[in-house]
Amino acid sequence: MRRAVVVLVVLLSAGGLAPAAQNPALQAPAPGKAEGLPGRQDSLKFAVIGDNGNGDKTEYDVGQQMAAARAKFPFDMVLMLGDNMYGRQDPQDFVSKFEQPYAALLQAGVLFYASLGNHDNQSNRFYKGFNMGGERYFSYVKKNVRFFVLDSNVLDPQQRSWLDEALGRAREDWKICYFHHPLYSDGGRHGSDVSLRVALEPTLVKHGVNVVFSGHDHIYERIKPQKGISYFVAGSGGELRRGDVHPSGMTAAYFDQDNAFMLVEVAGDDMFFEAVARTGTTVDSGVIHRQSNDARATR
Amino acid sequence: MRSHAAAAHRVELHRHHQRGHAVHAIHRPVNRFLGLPLGVTIALVWANTVPEPYFRLAQTLAFAVNEIGMALFVGLIMQEIVEATMEGGALHSWRRWTLPLIAAAGGIAGSVGTYLAWVQGRYEVILTAGWPIACAVDVAAAYYVLKAIMPRSGILPFVLLLGIATDLFGMVIVAVWRPTVGAPGGGAALLLAALGLAGVMRTLKVRAFWPYLLICGPLSWFAFLRDGLHPAFALVPIVPFLPHEPRKLDLLADPPDDDAVHHFEHEWNTLVQVVLFLFGLVNGGVILTGYDTGTWAVLLAALVGRPAGILAAVGLAVLAGWHLPRRIGWRQLVVAAFAASTGFTFALFFASGILYTGPMLAQLTIGALATAAGALLAIGIARLAGVGRFSRAS
Repeated sequence: MRRAVVVLVVLLSAGGLAPAAQNPALQAPAPGKAEGLPGRQDSLKFAVIGDNGNGDKTEYDVGQQMAAARAKFPFDMVLMLGDNMYGRQDPQDFVSKFEQPYAALLQAGVLFYASLGNHDNQSNRFYKGFNMGGERYFSYVKKNVRFFVLDSNVLDPQQRSWLDEALGRAREDWKICYFHHPLYSDGGRHGSDVSLRVALEPTLVKHGVNVVFSGHDHIYERIKPQKGISYFVAGSGGELRRGDVHPSGMTAAYFDQDNAFMLVEVAGDDMFFEAVARTGTTVDSGVIHRQSNDARATR
Repeated sequence: MRSHAAAAHRVELHRHHQRGHAVHAIHRPVNRFLGLPLGVTIALVWANTVPEPYFRLAQTLAFAVNEIGMALFVGLIMQEIVEATMEGGALHSWRRWTLPLIAAAGGIAGSVGTYLAWVQGRYEVILTAGWPIACAVDVAAAYYVLKAIMPRSGILPFVLLLGIATDLFGMVIVAVWRPTVGAPGGGAALLLAALGLAGVMRTLKVRAFWPYLLICGPLSWFAFLRDGLHPAFALVPIVPFLPHEPRKLDLLADPPDDDAVHHFEHEWNTLVQVVLFLFGLVNGGVILTGYDTGTWAVLLAALVGRPAGILAAVGLAVLAGWHLPRRIGWRQLVVAAFAASTGFTFALFFASGILYTGPMLAQLTIGALATAAGALLAIGIARLAGVGRFSRAS
C-alpha cells in the first residue's frame, strides 16, 4: 500500500501535479517546462542507461524511446553504467545488444561512454563503440563537466590512488562519477554496497564530487543528497526488477514498474534531470544546484 | 580416621582430575580452532546490522591483519608441514604421499573445473580471477570431522596429505598471482640477507625462535612486499631454518599429546589464534544480500567439483594398480572426499589474498564461508552410508 502511494506521488509529480522536490537541494521544474529540461543551446546534454545490454525487446524499446527523446532534447552522449552486455559476448552480440538497439543514436553520431559491470567481459573496454580507450577506469571532459568512470567490480589500490589524484587535479565546475555498483540504493536484490561506500565516499566528498550515477539494481531511484553528493541508481535500461524498491529515509523518488533511462542537462551551476520510462512517460525530474566546496564544508 | 581422610582426599583428587579433563576438553578446541569462526560470526552479525562502522574498522585493520598478522599463520602451517615430513615425523614416508597427491590433483581439477565452468556458463568472465579460491581445503575442519566419524582410521593421514597438497598449490598461486602493480622491486637482496642471517643463526645453533622471527622475518616480509609477492608468505623461506624436532604424532596433534617436544606452534598458538580471530573479524563480514554467481561457483566447486574430482582420480589410480589405504573402502573414501570439501579458513585467506575491496570479493567470500556446509555434508553421508561411528554393525 505504502509503495503504491509513493509510486503514485512520483507519477503525479512527473506530470507536474505535485512538486518533484522532496528535499532542499531539489526544486520543481520551472513553470511551463513540464519535462524539466530547459534545453539551452550551450549546455551539456546527455542520457544515462544502465544494465541495458540484454538484447531483449525492453532494451530495443528503451533505445527507440531515447531516439525519440533526442528529437526534442539533442544530447550528444550517453553514459553507460555497466552490464552493457549480458550473456554471450561474441562479435555478433555487440551488434544485437548494442549497435541495433541504439542504431538511430549511433547513426546520429551520439557517443556512448561505458563503465564495466559484473556481467561485462573486461575485454569489452577495447570495443570502440564503448569509448573506454582500453581502460578499466578513466576520465574525460565535456564542456564544464569532468566525468570519472570507475570499475567498481574490484577497487584495487591503484584505481583508488588514480581517482584521488585525478579528482585532485580536476578544475572543471562539475565532477560527475559513474560506475556500476551503487553506494546507496534501496533495491531489494542488492541494495547499497556499504563496503564500496566506505572505501570510496571519503575521496568523493574530499574532492567535491557533485553527482554519482550507478546501476546494478534494476530500478530507477534518486537518493537524497548524502554528504553533499547526489546519487542516482539507473539500472533499468534493459533489465527490470519490478517492485524491487524498498523505500527508506534516503529515498527521494523511485520508479520500479517499467524500464527507464535518464536525460540530463548541465547548464552553468544547475544540473537538470529527467527519468523517462520505456513508454515515454516522465517518472521523475528536478534540478540540482552545484555547491562550491566552501559551501559543502559548512554543511 | 586417617584412612577415611585419605579416601576423601583421593575422591577430591579424582574430582579435580575429572574437572581438569573436562576443562581441558573444552579449552583445547576453543584455544586452537575457534578463533576464526568466532571472528567470522561477530563480523557477519555486525556487517548485517550496522555495516558502515564495521566496514570502516575492517578496512582500517585489513593491511595489518592480512599482510602482517597472517604471516604468523602461514609460518605456523609451514612449520607443521616441515616437522611432520621430517625423518621420524608422522608424514615422512613419501610412499604415503602418492595416492593423496593423485587425489589432491583430482580434487583441484574437479573444483577449479567446476568453478570455471559455472562462471563461464553464466557469462561472468570477470569472476575467472577468483579460481584459486577453489583450491582451498580447511585441513583442520576435515581432520576433526573425520576424527569424529572414524577415529584412528587410516583415512586421517590420507586426508591430511590431500589437504596439505591442495593448500600448498593454492598458496603458491596466491603468493605469486597477487595482482600488484608498481612494486618497486629489489626484494631479492633483502631475502638473501634474511636467509643468510637465518643460516648463520642455524650454524650458531640458536635454539630460540624469536631471533629468527624478529630479525629474519621482517627482512623477508619487506622482500616479498617489494617484489609484489603476498607478504603473508614471508616466513615460508625462514621456517626451514628454525630448530625442529619431528612430530611423532599426527599433524595437528595437540600440545599435551606431544609435550616432550618444544614446538614453535605451541608457543605461538595463542598469538595465531588472536590473529585468526582478527582475520575472521576483518574478512568475514559480508552483507548476505551480496551473494551472486561467484558464491554459487565457489560452493559448487567445493561441494561437488572437489569430491567428484577426488573420487574420479582415486578411481583411475586404483584402475592403474594403486591400492587404497589399508582397511579403507569406497564408502569411507566418499565421506573423506566430502570432509575435504570445506574450504572455510583457507578459502577466506585465498579470497583476501587475490582480490581487493568490492562486490566481487563479497560474493566469493560468502561462498567461501558457506563451504563450511561440507562438514555437515560429510557427517550426513557417513550416517547414510553407515560409516565409522554410524556403522550398522556397531
